[in-house]
Amino acid sequence: MKLYSASSEETLRARKLLKDWAGEGLLAQEQYQRLEQETASDLRTTNIFLRLVLFFFTLIIVGAAVGLFFVVFLSHPSEQTAGVFCLIFAAVCYAAAEIAVSQARLHRYGIEEALLVYSVGFLCGGMQIAFFSGHYSTQPDGAQFLVPAAGTVFSLWIWHRFGLWYAFLAAMIFAVFLPGYWTSSHAAQHVIVAGVYAAGLMCVAAARSRHRYDHLEDAYSLVEALLWPGIYLAINLKLSSLDLPVRGWGSGIRASSEFARPFYWATWVLIWCLPAVVLARGVRLRDRFVIAVGAIVAILTFVSNKPYLGWPRHTWDPMLLGILLTGTALFIQRWLAGGPSRIRHGFTAVRLSGKDKQWMNAGSAVLGLIPSPAITPNPQTVNPDFRFGGGASGGGGASSEF
Amino acid sequence: MTIFARLERWKEQGAITPEQHAHLASLSRREPFSLFLELNVLLYAGVLAFVAGLGWTVTTWSQQLGDVFVLTILSVILGACFWYCFSRAPAWSPAETPAPSAIFDYVLYLGSLVWCMELTYLEKRFQLLSGQWDLYLLATAGFFFFLAYRFDNRFVLSLALSSLAGWFGLTISRWPSHQDAAYRQYALLYCLFVGVGGALLQRRGLKPHFFGTYLNIVANILFWAVLSGVFGRQDYGPWSLALLVACGASLAWGLTRRQFAFVAYAAVYGYLGVSSLLLRNFNDTTAVLSYFVITGVVMLVGLIVIARRFGRSE
Repeated sequence: MKLYSASSEETLRARKLLKDWAGEGLLAQEQYQRLEQETASDLRTTNIFLRLVLFFFTLIIVGAAVGLFFVVFLSHPSEQTAGVFCLIFAAVCYAAAEIAVSQARLHRYGIEEALLVYSVGFLCGGMQIAFFSGHYSTQPDGAQFLVPAAGTVFSLWIWHRFGLWYAFLAAMIFAVFLPGYWTSSHAAQHVIVAGVYAAGLMCVAAARSRHRYDHLEDAYSLVEALLWPGIYLAINLKLSSLDLPVRGWGSGIRASSEFARPFYWATWVLIWCLPAVVLARGVRLRDRFVIAVGAIVAILTFVSNKPYLGWPRHTWDPMLLGILLTGTALFIQRWLAGGPSRIRHGFTAVRLSGKDKQWMNAGSAVLGLIPSPAITPNPQTVNPDFRFGGGASGGGGASSEF
Repeated sequence: MTIFARLERWKEQGAITPEQHAHLASLSRREPFSLFLELNVLLYAGVLAFVAGLGWTVTTWSQQLGDVFVLTILSVILGACFWYCFSRAPAWSPAETPAPSAIFDYVLYLGSLVWCMELTYLEKRFQLLSGQWDLYLLATAGFFFFLAYRFDNRFVLSLALSSLAGWFGLTISRWPSHQDAAYRQYALLYCLFVGVGGALLQRRGLKPHFFGTYLNIVANILFWAVLSGVFGRQDYGPWSLALLVACGASLAWGLTRRQFAFVAYAAVYGYLGVSSLLLRNFNDTTAVLSYFVITGVVMLVGLIVIARRFGRSE
């Protein structure tokens, strides 16, 4: 069922680990060169930059080729005809991706990935155009759920067969649109989405337990790290009030009164419980992605707690959050450093991987630029009455005058 | 074959020592598990949230708090940060220097951001520099360059480079006729200044590991500036030539130094620029789409050749 054999994937994994260990000085150069020859793979890989560029140009070629086909052969096709041809192109793109992998042995090469992206797009677009064109009423056609359902199933298949984690993310996004076709109750829609993700999580957790320390554990780890925030976003009713682009349950800000009180408060309890559960699981499995997701949903809980309770936000709330985050990081760092050999319960704050350093170097150069707009303000307007501030949104009776 | 089976085999073959085997096997089992990256991200997010809240509070409540209180608070934070950094920093070295503590880089970053905030407050409230924002930015850039090189901090180096870019930008904003051409010239001047400066510092052995940051920023600004000239309706000839030269240089650098980001820059920016030149008088949809198919295939083949010859490693 999978396109890449377990031995090929394990060989690639071993090759990456060798490079990391050699970079950290854990292997001598001669050792690395000798062992690297033993991890030669039949798969054709490339680095991330060339992968992105190959992806970009494949997108251009396929998009232009399909456009050219429609312009040359189908100048004014009916919607059904265009839809059917989109479905044919979906099949062609998918077949091309299969051939690229099975014949050319491409592995995360950008080309086959762009073809797969197009195959999903053409499938859903083709179905919509061929079978549901002209259905623009506010009441969705009952059978129209087949479009996101097909997108979900096909994306899941691509994830399974090609091992592309973002295909799983696409499946999750398609799944968000499904409940809207089945029920008009927003609470039920939240529950259905959370339930679907939770079912997926249980399947992944069960499958993952059989793959400790092999290449599939990495894949399942990523998928689990996608499902946890999916569940969290489904049960956190207040994130839409933070102007986050959560769609699929309608649009715009929804009043808390729209939901039944028991449901509303149950979700509040859950958004506090879930981060603890995720963090505990991440720590138990020593899973980097799950730990990161646990930290992110914990921060989201802090951010959305006041809107949940109906309390006013204060300007100093971010400062308190910053102090909490910094304090937590410092406490953990010091606690770990106090253990024997700077290790406690199998955890350390010391850098062990060369990759971490690469990430830090690249990240610090890019992240350092984020607050740049704050330090490169617009030229001051020449206005003798200018006043610093203007906090029209200030709480506690603050005025905008300085 | 899992990594553990391979390690076992390599130990039996004598390719690795038993000590190496034990160490590498424990690393493969994530024992110990390093939280280095996570804790650093948490510290960065904490500093950013704190500064955002501080800025929001000062902006909203400045009238109630009063100038003295606001400036005192900002000065205390600023002083504490810089006192911490100057008192804890190891002796300066031109080579890469690890931070003396886990929080050191973030304290310096916090101090730098608060410095910006305090200067902005002073200038907007008291007009100390009489609206000379470019001087403020230039001084800030100089100060940040000093801090970045003194404490070996990439966060602050990025702030310095963006402040310097802001200085060039602010100078342009006073330009009599806000022309793109003038903007491009200043962008090129910035690239020249930063690129040559970074190269000289690297050649003299002063924090040579910063050179990658300089090059990436310069490459992107240079390509944006040149592309804006190529996209222009007039006088795009010299800019087209400049684009080709820049693409060639970027490609050569990327291939010889195995820095494939520069290969990507050359391919994408170059393709966009050349396509803009060739298609600017084309109105025929079929011809345009055919162009994208043919040139896309040519680019793809070229990149595959490059990927097979040079860019195999992850």
